[in-house]
Amino acid sequence: MRPILLQGHERSITQIKYNREGDLLFSVAKDPVANAWYSVNGERLGTYNGHTGAVWCVDVDWDTKNVLTGSADNSCRLWDCETGKQLALLETSSAVRTCGFDFSGNIIMFSTDKQMGYQCFLNYFDLRDPQQIEDNQPYLSVPCNESKITSAVWGPLGEFVIAGHENGEINQYSAKSGEILKAAKEHTKQINDIQTSVDLTMLISASKDCTAKMFDSTNLEHIKTFKTERPVNSAAISSNMDHVVMGGGQEAMEVTTTSTRIGKFEARFFHAAYEEEFGRVKGHFGPINCVAFHPDGKRLVPAFVFL
Amino acid sequence: MRDTENMEAEMEYDDGEEPSFSDPEDFVDDSDQELLEDVLRDKPQEADGIDSVVVVDNVPQVGPERLEKLKNVIQKIFSKFGKITNEFYPDADGKTKGYIFLEYSAPSHAHEAVKNADGYKLDKQHTFRVNLFTDFDKYMSICDEWEAPEKQPFKDFGNLRHWLEDPDCRDQYSVIYDSGERTGIFANDVKEPIEIEERARWTETYVRWSPKGTYLATFHQRGIALWGGEKFKQIQRFSHQGVQLIDFSPCERYVVTFSPLMDTKDDPQAIIIWDVLTGHKKRGFHCESSAHWPIFKWSPDGKFFARMTLDTLSIYETPSMGLLDKKSLKINGIKDFSWSPGDNIIAFWVPEDKDIPARVTLMQLPSRNEIRVRNLFNVVDCKLHWQKNGDYLCVKVDRTPKGTQGVVTNFEIFRMREKQVPVDVVEMKESIIAFAWEPNGSKFAVLHGEAPRINVSFYHVKNNGKIDLIKMFDKQQANSIFWSPQGQFLVLAGLRSMNGALAFVDTSDCTMMNIAEHYMASDVEWDPTGRYVVTSVSWWSHKVDNAFWLWTFQGRLLQKTNKERFCQLLWRPRPPSLLTQEQIKLIKKDLKKYSKIFEQKDRLSQSKASKELVDKRRSMMEEYRKYRERAVDMYNEQRPLRLELRGGVNTDELDSNVDDWEEETIEFFINEEIIPIGDLQRWSQRHGKCMAVQCILTRTRSCQFLSRYYATLLRTHI
Repeated sequence: MRPILLQGHERSITQIKYNREGDLLFSVAKDPVANAWYSVNGERLGTYNGHTGAVWCVDVDWDTKNVLTGSADNSCRLWDCETGKQLALLETSSAVRTCGFDFSGNIIMFSTDKQMGYQCFLNYFDLRDPQQIEDNQPYLSVPCNESKITSAVWGPLGEFVIAGHENGEINQYSAKSGEILKAAKEHTKQINDIQTSVDLTMLISASKDCTAKMFDSTNLEHIKTFKTERPVNSAAISSNMDHVVMGGGQEAMEVTTTSTRIGKFEARFFHAAYEEEFGRVKGHFGPINCVAFHPDGKRLVPAFVFL
Repeated sequence: MRDTENMEAEMEYDDGEEPSFSDPEDFVDDSDQELLEDVLRDKPQEADGIDSVVVVDNVPQVGPERLEKLKNVIQKIFSKFGKITNEFYPDADGKTKGYIFLEYSAPSHAHEAVKNADGYKLDKQHTFRVNLFTDFDKYMSICDEWEAPEKQPFKDFGNLRHWLEDPDCRDQYSVIYDSGERTGIFANDVKEPIEIEERARWTETYVRWSPKGTYLATFHQRGIALWGGEKFKQIQRFSHQGVQLIDFSPCERYVVTFSPLMDTKDDPQAIIIWDVLTGHKKRGFHCESSAHWPIFKWSPDGKFFARMTLDTLSIYETPSMGLLDKKSLKINGIKDFSWSPGDNIIAFWVPEDKDIPARVTLMQLPSRNEIRVRNLFNVVDCKLHWQKNGDYLCVKVDRTPKGTQGVVTNFEIFRMREKQVPVDVVEMKESIIAFAWEPNGSKFAVLHGEAPRINVSFYHVKNNGKIDLIKMFDKQQANSIFWSPQGQFLVLAGLRSMNGALAFVDTSDCTMMNIAEHYMASDVEWDPTGRYVVTSVSWWSHKVDNAFWLWTFQGRLLQKTNKERFCQLLWRPRPPSLLTQEQIKLIKKDLKKYSKIFEQKDRLSQSKASKELVDKRRSMMEEYRKYRERAVDMYNEQRPLRLELRGGVNTDELDSNVDDWEEETIEFFINEEIIPIGDLQRWSQRHGKCMAVQCILTRTRSCQFLSRYYATLLRTHI
């Protein structure tokens, strides 16, 4: 196994994603540029320029046509994947925390932060109706009053969005009515990341409460718990093995209170059925912010804070 | 309604009859209360001043000619406590009756008089008995006949030493975690801790075990509770508001509690001594000075306890809780004292006073014989260290010898088991960080030097009094010494600021068995048998990575137990063994016989454990497989829906549409080497084959993707 080091961001990574085939990798960071890479050799394909603030989230649709990014500059932008052209600019009143394409690639969702007196909203746009984009009018906007959304992914078949909240709750929001279909409160602290398995049947949530938990995406039934001693920033499910990988670590501001040797957090592999750790990958010099499995299950991308 | 009432009143008036101004029968006149409240408050009450009256008994009976003289004497003694406003000397047949009444200006003065003048010896025949006048009612009502106290029903708490009957001889420990919210009792096992009992909010601050492990004491705002027996039922309660500190007597019969609240002048409640078996308060004490806890130190058999105050050493005896021989010892300038852990001997030291040298004294009790006095010169400070059996006493003496600069330290080693208690001196040149006796032996360990050059030395006290340096290790990362309770082994720990460095030492041949680290460890606790040692990071001292680790005495790490906001781990002490020395010797001799049995047992439990683990994993896997099957079934059912959503393209597998794939070659940079031309030939033979060429299958769906791949930069080097 040979690690490939990708250097294209000036500030810490916020999210990374493979496209469906796994030949491309998209990364966003706290700098305003989104990058696209060849996953095979780590070469940069191009950038998506336009944001003016930290980019919190990125997603790519199933046929790798469009890329969606959400940023702290109060906008969510749709890009042409190949040319890097900005196709749409959806302005919001607060930072965009999460975004995603549904299974068909026709509907996008993004959530906004509770910030500067604005509420947290989960917005749905149908790309087939250009009017919605033009008017910046989502066909559905769900307010989340209690606790803001910190992470969200689409469920199978584009029927609902599964969102993790600041208080540790996980909810399913219908893409048609916006109502909460299912809810699970298994975590005690903020959900940092939610990722689905390749077939979208399962999801794994990474939380500040030092655990990652596996759920069934349809009925939100809690399946497994993976325990560590550090806040978990990101977790991913392997597509070809019963494995789970987790990355995390102390928040940058707390790193100084722990030893340099144990403050950091290796990428840790757990067996999905036994809930036991069986391996670690060392070599990071800061906490891991995001991990992603290559769709063929053979490659792993951890990203970490640049100190 | 109202109107008609008024009408009626008016009508009555109209009748010409004069209204009655006298009060109705049930009228209570409370206008004084309202109008003269401030005056009434000062109105003398019948019982006023009665609180300030004391009665003094055993006053000499005198005739009128000597009355004046007596009054002068009484005035002199009793006006110390306050102004006497009234006095009364009852007389009969021209002589005083032998008791007098004195009234003070305030009740507090009377209390003071009772507290201090009661028992005052005027002369050989006359010892004053001073009581509050108000107390007389109390004493009057005491029944003349003695009534046998009612027999208390016997409460059965089961076997209080139940834990010692564990077939595998597991030791127990208490764990406080969740920042004090939860407390658990666990049995130590090599594999993993076995939970015995676990409760939320069992204690409000911390817990303490009694010295023989019978009771677990928990702290509450309202007092102390003792728990024990098989199921940890409550056995006893001691109500002491705001209790902060406790101390058991070594025999577990008494417990001393301290609370900073509630102390009143007449009723000492700062320190209370309780009887553990009955739960009764035995005696209360004031706590005037801010001395170190424990304020009362117990003799090893629990018969005596002693307390040091300014220039005095007070020794009390049980069960009366009174002063031994009715009086304290006057020791001018006493600085510190401690009981021998083996015998009823007190060691105390007194600093230099002008021409009198400082001295360390060993005193036998209850005889008060001074069995050894050692004079010391130019002393700055002394510390008393007893060996656990009381075989040796080490007095660490910091001195500033004349003509030299700085402080030197001497260890004065007293050999208690020999005639005349001979003393030998070990001189240390460096400053001392820690000192510790081997619990059951004649060795001691010393940490000395200045960080980062800290050395550890091991000394052996021989029978002839020679004290040998056995071994010295230099450059240690340590600030504390923890001997195994059985001796021979010890852990040198660099706690807290020294990052939790650990060194496991065998002092029989002075080898470092292992060097390890538990980062930021704050505590080291040996189990009572000396088989295991626990290091821990307490939430009280460090907020992250709170956990306790279990090690063997040789320093092999067995377990890491992470507990959320873990605070404290305490091993449950064991009572002393009931085996005689001969029996212990015999067991040591036949150790091989026993170890065979244990080894077999270990193997059995190991294979059982691994079988359990395999079973557990198998069932977990089974469950997970079942779940996956269900999920995959559903997934397959939804295939038509997926196809519909993605315009008929099957995307379920990465290689679903192999027909569309196209082979493409991408070369990429692996390595770069610069080789002089002359070497090129040789190099190519060696490395020629290493040029990596990787084939990658990519599907091209449309032209737009083709361009993406063609744009790939092909880089070749050399």
